[in-house]
Amino acid sequence: MIQNFISMNGYGLFVWLSFAITFLACATIYYKTYKTLKKYEKDFAKELEQLSASERKLVLEKSKVASQVLASYNKSI
Amino acid sequence: MFDLINPSRIFHWIEKLINFINSIFFILLIIALTFALILSPPDYLQGDSVRIMYVHVPSAWIGLASFTSIALLSILNFIFKIKNLNLITKSIAPLGLMFTCLAIVTGSLWGQPTWGTWWAWDARITSMVVLSIFYILFILAHKLIEQEDKANKVSNIIAIIGLVNIPVIKYSVDWWNTLHQPSSIKLDGTSSIHPSMLLPLMLMLLVLLLYCALILLMKYKTEIIRIKKKNIKRI
Amino acid sequence: MLTKKVKKRASFLSLLLIFLIIAVFFILKSLTSNILYFKSPTDIQLSQDIIFSKKIRVGGMVKKNSININNKEIKFIITDLKHELAVSYSGTVPNLFSEGKGVVAEGKLQDKNFFIADRILAKHDEKYMPPELKDLMKKNVK
Repeated sequence: MIQNFISMNGYGLFVWLSFAITFLACATIYYKTYKTLKKYEKDFAKELEQLSASERKLVLEKSKVASQVLASYNKSI
Repeated sequence: MFDLINPSRIFHWIEKLINFINSIFFILLIIALTFALILSPPDYLQGDSVRIMYVHVPSAWIGLASFTSIALLSILNFIFKIKNLNLITKSIAPLGLMFTCLAIVTGSLWGQPTWGTWWAWDARITSMVVLSIFYILFILAHKLIEQEDKANKVSNIIAIIGLVNIPVIKYSVDWWNTLHQPSSIKLDGTSSIHPSMLLPLMLMLLVLLLYCALILLMKYKTEIIRIKKKNIKRI
Repeated sequence: MLTKKVKKRASFLSLLLIFLIIAVFFILKSLTSNILYFKSPTDIQLSQDIIFSKKIRVGGMVKKNSININNKEIKFIITDLKHELAVSYSGTVPNLFSEGKGVVAEGKLQDKNFFIADRILAKHDEKYMPPELKDLMKKNVK
């Protein structure tokens, strides 16, 4: 049963290879996109830190996006 | 109405959508794979090699659909000069190229056990290679031309020229003798695939479309952060 | 919204597209013989100038009950239901090669009715179904 599942009646190599290649390609693009996103979140958080305390407070109060990005950055480290 | 295009509102919705897709993605993926690899029957003629169809066909469809949407957006952009459209076409292109290449590679893996050859220069396969070249030219235009306006213009023209190739791919199997078989699913909705094999095909298509949506949403989010960072003091 | 500039660009673009479609149409039209992956037996019967030394591909259906295997040589007939062409081949054939199914043979013509192939490719149709269903259909036909 399991052996049959793996060998696919002799077509196993082709079937598994095509599924594996598709999966790997998708995973690579996902990883790259994810990394770029995290990099920009980090840059954004750094930029916020460089502001003075009062400015930062103002930005975070006024912009939901800024506080969300900061929260997601803090979660990921 | 104005509230809908408020960036922080969009950002909120993107966040929600990403979380939603993430929560259902793996369940759907496992269901689709179970159907594609275990529950669906082998073909009467091709045996288990027919399972390659479940990644080959959705990849080819997504590759074609991506290029069509890039070209149509490029036409809109060329006529009305809407700058944001370039951001969208630019982020679709790598995904489309990946799926076009996947269609070609899995097609080659399918051709060897069924046709008896890895490669044939027939009309369908050659026109798919031409499509991938158009994708590469489009991406290269953005990479190599440093002036943004010029890069946008060149890439738009490339996409519009490439649009002519799309019907050629679609109808290549009807117009000429090809080794590739004609389409199983016609534009009018009739299909020559048995329902027990159509179900895994549609499930895999759904999974791959959700994957594309996830990637595009993440890219959109990155773009918003980039713009916010530019005018951080003005927020 | 439809300023002069927009109209100008739109008309330029539609002209460009029409020109492109016509150009591509003529290019493909003139290349037809190169784009065709294989010729049918009818094409061969009707063509006037056949170069026998040139490698070509012939495709069609394997005629029912025409496969004849002796030793390593396989003989069969390719048909497009109008004309037929006898093919001789020695070597391995793809799994899907069988009677009543599509086939493409690569090789050289000896004369208009005899072809020596050095490669056989199988061509399958666009129908996919489970084996049980096919058996059922066969029974119904009988």
